Amino acid sequence: MGKTRIKKAVGSIWPAAITIIIALFIGAILIVISGKDPIDAYRLLFNGAFGSAHKISETLVKAIPLMIMALGISIAFKNKMWNIGADGQFTLGAIFSLSVGIYLKLPVWLLFPISFLAAFIGGALWGALAGWLKAKFNANEVITTLMLNYIATYLLTYLVYGPMMDPEGFGFPQTPLLPEGLHLGLFSAQTRIHMGIFVALALLGLVILFWKSTLGYKIELMGQGEQVSRYAGINAKRMMILVMALSGGLCGIAGWNEIYGVHYRLMTDIASGYGTLAIVIALLGNLNPVGIGVSSFFFAALLVGGNTMQRMTGIPYSIVDIIQGLVIIFVITRQAINLESVRMFFKKIGGKQHVG
Amino acid sequence: MWDDILTTGFLVSVLAATIRLATPILFTSLGAIYGQRSGILNLGLEGTMTIGAVCAFIVAFFTNSLFLGLLGAVLGGILFSVIMAWLSVTMKANQVIAGTAMTILGVGLSAFIYRAIFGIKSLPAQIESFQQIRIPLLSDIPIVGKIFFDHNLLIYFAFLLVVITWFVLEKTVFGLKIKAVGEHPRAADSKGINVAKVRYQSLMIEGAYAGLGGAFMSIAYMNSFTDSIITGRGFIAVAVVVFARWHPTRAMWGALLYGLASALQIRLQAIGAEIPNQFLLMLPYVLTIIVLIGVSKKAEFPGAYTLPYSRMER
Repeated sequence: MGKTRIKKAVGSIWPAAITIIIALFIGAILIVISGKDPIDAYRLLFNGAFGSAHKISETLVKAIPLMIMALGISIAFKNKMWNIGADGQFTLGAIFSLSVGIYLKLPVWLLFPISFLAAFIGGALWGALAGWLKAKFNANEVITTLMLNYIATYLLTYLVYGPMMDPEGFGFPQTPLLPEGLHLGLFSAQTRIHMGIFVALALLGLVILFWKSTLGYKIELMGQGEQVSRYAGINAKRMMILVMALSGGLCGIAGWNEIYGVHYRLMTDIASGYGTLAIVIALLGNLNPVGIGVSSFFFAALLVGGNTMQRMTGIPYSIVDIIQGLVIIFVITRQAINLESVRMFFKKIGGKQHVG
Repeated sequence: MWDDILTTGFLVSVLAATIRLATPILFTSLGAIYGQRSGILNLGLEGTMTIGAVCAFIVAFFTNSLFLGLLGAVLGGILFSVIMAWLSVTMKANQVIAGTAMTILGVGLSAFIYRAIFGIKSLPAQIESFQQIRIPLLSDIPIVGKIFFDHNLLIYFAFLLVVITWFVLEKTVFGLKIKAVGEHPRAADSKGINVAKVRYQSLMIEGAYAGLGGAFMSIAYMNSFTDSIITGRGFIAVAVVVFARWHPTRAMWGALLYGLASALQIRLQAIGAEIPNQFLLMLPYVLTIIVLIGVSKKAEFPGAYTLPYSRMER
């Protein structure tokens, strides 16, 4: 039993690994075309991500929000709700949790859990709004979550330029800093890696348990088709809102992690496109929590290492974007081939044998 | 402050800028009407536009011809859209995911190509961009002339495309086929329409339009290429199409609305007005959601929106 399980896990890693290898290979071809040495480039990329304690810490710092957001996205995607609003939900979570931290005058031990909860609520409300619009008006969640991203960005810009601007910040578009006691602890003074990583890992464990719970099972079941869930007696409309709230809530917590662990204040570009990257990660991880954990680490390394590579070799950082895009394309074509063509192929063979 | 705003000079400059800023969105959203009408939601337009911008710039830079630059953008846009068509039509992949991939890939590839040719740190290369064409007589009309008849060629062309797109979709057999395929692919198939072919064609036209939208940014609105040249305009175009309920004329109004919001923001900032303009910028997105609610309730969406078509499945 234990052995087959391990075998299964290894078997599910293979496709993802091959996907990455092909993407890196095409990246290497592009590097050759641009007249540089790909081996050198990837060596520097690897060094840039893991070459020192500081670099490993930077990679982990990036992996934390990406992993939490990808976990959030995976909940919606498993339900076939295409939540592309992770950036907006992250932003709302950040706004809510920072407001708690700088405006509520409560003891620190109380502020931590309250701000965490506030982040979840902020993200959950933003997500649930899209879920509600879908349940109530059948409004396509792809468009609403996309619009809500922009609305969140402008809301944040308004706040940091207006009512929440730091009065002693010389007019910079940023809020005051969180009080020192509310910063998530650092492992060492030299690196930025913070205790938020334990929160991220705890969430990873929680999501694993979640998929084993009744609610998780229902969400997955509903994603497989309307009829199935109707037979199972699932209230689809209420479920849509709940799924989006959970998905958005996790993205909101990623905002909390980023504010309380890294920035300690709000600025205009805190989400900086994490949402899109988190979609790539969730898909490469096959919407499986452990897979997401591994791929978020991989992509964080790619991001951090890519910067070093550009600085040292002059190979444009955009090669990292290209690799990301290729990874999704390979993942979806693989799935399509697995699902449709292969099935058709075997059907054909089976049919012929039958005739013969 | 209000004395600065309530002047004809300010209003004229805002409205003229509105038309300029609406143009790239208009090109792309007109193109996206073809795709969405045929049943395919392409979230990769951001990437297609960036590809268009870089192709236009590179070709124009090396040939010294803006028109060859436009041709390059159109071809680049078409080629890039074929990948989206292959993913969403042939591979029947989820369109949201495929579109996300195409956005990331398009933006990354464009930046890479530009850097591979022009290097990383050199000053941005520049070209001679499209110049304003003052339409004789009409541009001499006070106020109106400055707002409507003192623009570069691509702007006039974008607004002409509104009529052309309307004509193709409403008055030709091809337009009818596109709508049939988007509305009820199975019925269209049984009438002998090649669903996959029409969807490929729609997406290729969409790519050509989006390529032009990108070209406008690099060789007409500006005279250089940067990585962030499109910054969300591709996504705005998708929103405009929904806002316009898949109709070219309404897409023009939608694009102008987005143009007005950004023009006002830029001009107000330029004169240092202390108005929180973020709510102004938010407005088009809020309106799009409101329109979407209305559209969805009345089920005005194309019947097979975002659904791949397979002859095998029932």
